[in-house]
Amino acid sequence: MIVPRPIAPRMLRLAALGLASLLLLAYVLGPVMWLLSSSLQTEREIVSIPPHWIPESPTLANFKAIFATGLGLARPSPAGTDPSSGGFIPSVAANLLPAMANSFIVAVTVTILNLLIGVPAAYAIGKIRFRGRGLTLYAILATRVIPDIALVVPLFLVVRKLGMLDSLASLIIAYLAITVPFSVFVLASFFEQMPDDLDRAARVDGCSRLRVLTHVYLPLARPALVAVGLFAFLASWNEFLLALMFTQTAASQTLPIVVAGITSDFTVSFSFLNAAGVLAVVPPVLLAVIFERYIVSGLTAGAVKG
Amino acid sequence: MARIRFQSVTKRYANGATAVAGLDLDIADQEFLVLLGPSGCGKSTTLNMIAGLEEISEGALLFDDRTMNNVPAHRRDVAMVFQSYALYPHKSVFENIAFGLRMRRVPEPELRRRVMDAAAKLEIAHLLERRPSQLSGGQRQRVALGRAMVREPSVFLMDEPLSNLDASLRISMRAQIRHLHAQMHSTFVYVTHDQAEALTLADRIVVMRDGTIQQIGSPDDIYERPANLFVASFLGSPAINLLEGALETIGGTLCFRRGALTVPLPACFRGDAREVVLGLRPEDVGPATSEAAQIHGVVDTAMPAGSDQFLGVAVEGAMLFLRVPKDVRVREGEPIGFGLTESRLHLFDRTTGRSLRRAA
Amino acid sequence: MRAVTHDERAAAGLLAGLVAVLMAVTAFPILYSLWISLFAVNLRRPNRMPFVGLDNYIAVLSSPAFWGSVGRTALFSALAVAAILVIATLVALLLDQEFPGRRILSACLLIPWAIPSVVNGLMWKWIYDSNYGALNGLLLQLGFIGSATIWLGDSNRTLPLIANAFIWKEVPLAAILLLVTLKSIPADLYGAAAVDGAPAWRRFFAITLPALRPGFLLVTLYEAMMAVRHFDLFFLLTEGGPGGASDVVAWRIYVETFRNLSFGTGAAMSYILAIATLLMSYALIRGMARTL
Ligand SMILES: Nc1ncnc2c1ncn2[C@@H]1O[C@H](COP(=O)(O)OP(=O)(O)O)[C@@H](O)[C@H]1O
Ligand SMILES: [Mg+2]
Repeated sequence: MIVPRPIAPRMLRLAALGLASLLLLAYVLGPVMWLLSSSLQTEREIVSIPPHWIPESPTLANFKAIFATGLGLARPSPAGTDPSSGGFIPSVAANLLPAMANSFIVAVTVTILNLLIGVPAAYAIGKIRFRGRGLTLYAILATRVIPDIALVVPLFLVVRKLGMLDSLASLIIAYLAITVPFSVFVLASFFEQMPDDLDRAARVDGCSRLRVLTHVYLPLARPALVAVGLFAFLASWNEFLLALMFTQTAASQTLPIVVAGITSDFTVSFSFLNAAGVLAVVPPVLLAVIFERYIVSGLTAGAVKG
Repeated sequence: MARIRFQSVTKRYANGATAVAGLDLDIADQEFLVLLGPSGCGKSTTLNMIAGLEEISEGALLFDDRTMNNVPAHRRDVAMVFQSYALYPHKSVFENIAFGLRMRRVPEPELRRRVMDAAAKLEIAHLLERRPSQLSGGQRQRVALGRAMVREPSVFLMDEPLSNLDASLRISMRAQIRHLHAQMHSTFVYVTHDQAEALTLADRIVVMRDGTIQQIGSPDDIYERPANLFVASFLGSPAINLLEGALETIGGTLCFRRGALTVPLPACFRGDAREVVLGLRPEDVGPATSEAAQIHGVVDTAMPAGSDQFLGVAVEGAMLFLRVPKDVRVREGEPIGFGLTESRLHLFDRTTGRSLRRAA
Repeated sequence: MRAVTHDERAAAGLLAGLVAVLMAVTAFPILYSLWISLFAVNLRRPNRMPFVGLDNYIAVLSSPAFWGSVGRTALFSALAVAAILVIATLVALLLDQEFPGRRILSACLLIPWAIPSVVNGLMWKWIYDSNYGALNGLLLQLGFIGSATIWLGDSNRTLPLIANAFIWKEVPLAAILLLVTLKSIPADLYGAAAVDGAPAWRRFFAITLPALRPGFLLVTLYEAMMAVRHFDLFFLLTEGGPGGASDVVAWRIYVETFRNLSFGTGAAMSYILAIATLLMSYALIRGMARTL
């Protein structure tokens, strides 16, 4: 039998890579798939032993309950109802949609303000030589080393003194502190890589510094802006610790807080809990997968220099 | 309209490096001035100070009678062409050229007219819709020129605009730039390290070194009457021959002496006995005749170079590099003699490097 | 003193927002918390706030419970960082190959990174569930265990299991950083080695691993910082339990501040953690830079 020699090792290599890819895929997606599968099971099915990896009769009941109560179309089941009977709607279900709205408002506002503050600062650091430039860079680096939990105590006291506890504004301001330094870092290294002559040409052409930024660099920086905006959005959407401190009622609670509340509530079934989790996961995961390319380049730009 | 004056201008960068020291320079309105010097001598820094792209550390910069030190770049009536061209990658050729006019709120019809005009002159009218990335190096260079041209600025600055072009294109662009200067009523300041470019383009050349001016003069002045050893050796290709020796007065005549070699010097040189350097450009030798001063040596190497040939000639322990017509028959290892043209000799003080030529 | 230049005025304007944010939400809280840490602040007694100097620090540093939590933090971080380094290296090596489906794989890799840590916590809590969890289900089905096992509730298993959840979420970023380092290895380095007839595994140890060192430094630094300060999973999975088995420093700060309402000691502990983090990053940079 004649086998062309190079084919065998090539097949072997592909097979090995395929196997490794499957392993990685199982590791990465396995837990998420289980989350999704659980969210589609009924309260009865979720307590099967052994677990049903794939739901026998997938149901959207949990999601329907979340949207129906959130929009005021249905009421949570009254206390005293047996949770294990089908169709039980926990009272926290009504909080999920408003929390999602809060998360959305906070994340979008932070993203916009983040860019409004971060882009000019990054341009100044990347393209203008001024006294104190080194100091500014160190300050930015320092904020990345200081643990957020160290800021929690003083921030909490300040927010309380200002009477801003339980408001979205307090979250927005705190998240700016977390996200702006990173944005400035990524964007400044992006601007720095742009040729200096472009900046000079634009200034000779009649642009003030601000106009150089808006007319020349912003159009060129679109990929970096997308990446940085996404980071700000995801960080705000996902943040837990500060939200836990600053929010108290449904008026300001974000999705992670409400989901965490459900997690420690023993009357809520795991199938409902997982549905709430899926709800919180879908927006960031969609964004991450769609904008994978931007995110990867932004992450590496920010990290390599930091 | 702009006369540009530097008054004792010094530029220190933030890292402490002094790029330009005590610069005094008066550039006439509509002059074509070339800043010439080796890389790092402060040419770009000088140009950038005119543009307002670099702050002035000390001294004053004036346009006509107005002090410009604190006027930012975008409020100066200055256009600039960069070595890297610095075209806006996200804009079409048309928008690249139009950008400066848009920033100055030139009305649309006039803007179109001026852009089209410049594009036609530079023969890039067919490229107006393209992006810079779709252009060749020469085309980009023209767009960069066009962008500065449409502005019709009173000061037109160019920083090594031709350095990234290949040799033949460079020569044709020189002509175009000269032409541009003739048409526009702008003061041109042009930076280059290429002496040939400087000699062909300039009304006046400023030779710089280490942030200071070495000589200011017409191309002829600079080439024929270099003020010091640096200027003499920076201009000319191949480089000027420099022979170290002594200055002596023999029989009432000032002479250059090196070993057995004695060269009587013309009256345009002055000085008392001292160590000197005699400068002789490779092309400034002729056949040995009885009237002219002569120089004798042994042919070391002979290399044909097109219409001419280059000879390496050993003279009194030094090697002179000379350019003679091809029909001069030489053999390596044989003695040879040349006549010198007195008026084309250069003489410098060996310690100060200054020319010993009398002021004209 | 030079006069303020035009450029500097422009820079000041452009930086105003950033400076305001840094001042208001970072610099001021840091100084304020230093101030607080010198007082006995307790919200249960809001009107009395005696100055106690360094007493809070002394109290914290002489408390065995605090040192216990430091030990657990160190163990958790060491476990997490080591595992992240190993797994992320393997992932990066895989993604460095060219094969069909590579792009989809790297897009999927971002999913754990993008998931909110709260959902990460609830997801693993459900997986680890001792009655109906997937871990027990899987191990039972495969016959590795005979009966349902208690996972998070077993104090010997708690820290490694929480670390596992942390690792799962952190591997993607680490792998991306290492992949960038891998891509920056000049190809002619491999070419030269291949000509010398070195087998693949020799090339790996002679070229790839040493070239990955800057990436390892970066990942170690970043992940150690993240692990030492990590709070969310401890809150969601175990609340410091069982019996203090997952009582790490971040959790202690939270309990001290928001359950015991003792802000002075909480602030002192935060300060100690911040300074320790700074020192750790400095030591890591120095130590690893020397071995580079
Ligand atoms: N931004 C800068 N910071 C510090 N030194 C600089 C800067 N730009 C130029 N220099 C230094 O100033 C000197 C003059 O530079 P430049 O004007 O660019 O010279 P040229 O254009 O003649 O080559 C050089 O020694 C250069 O290293
Ligand atoms: Mg230059």
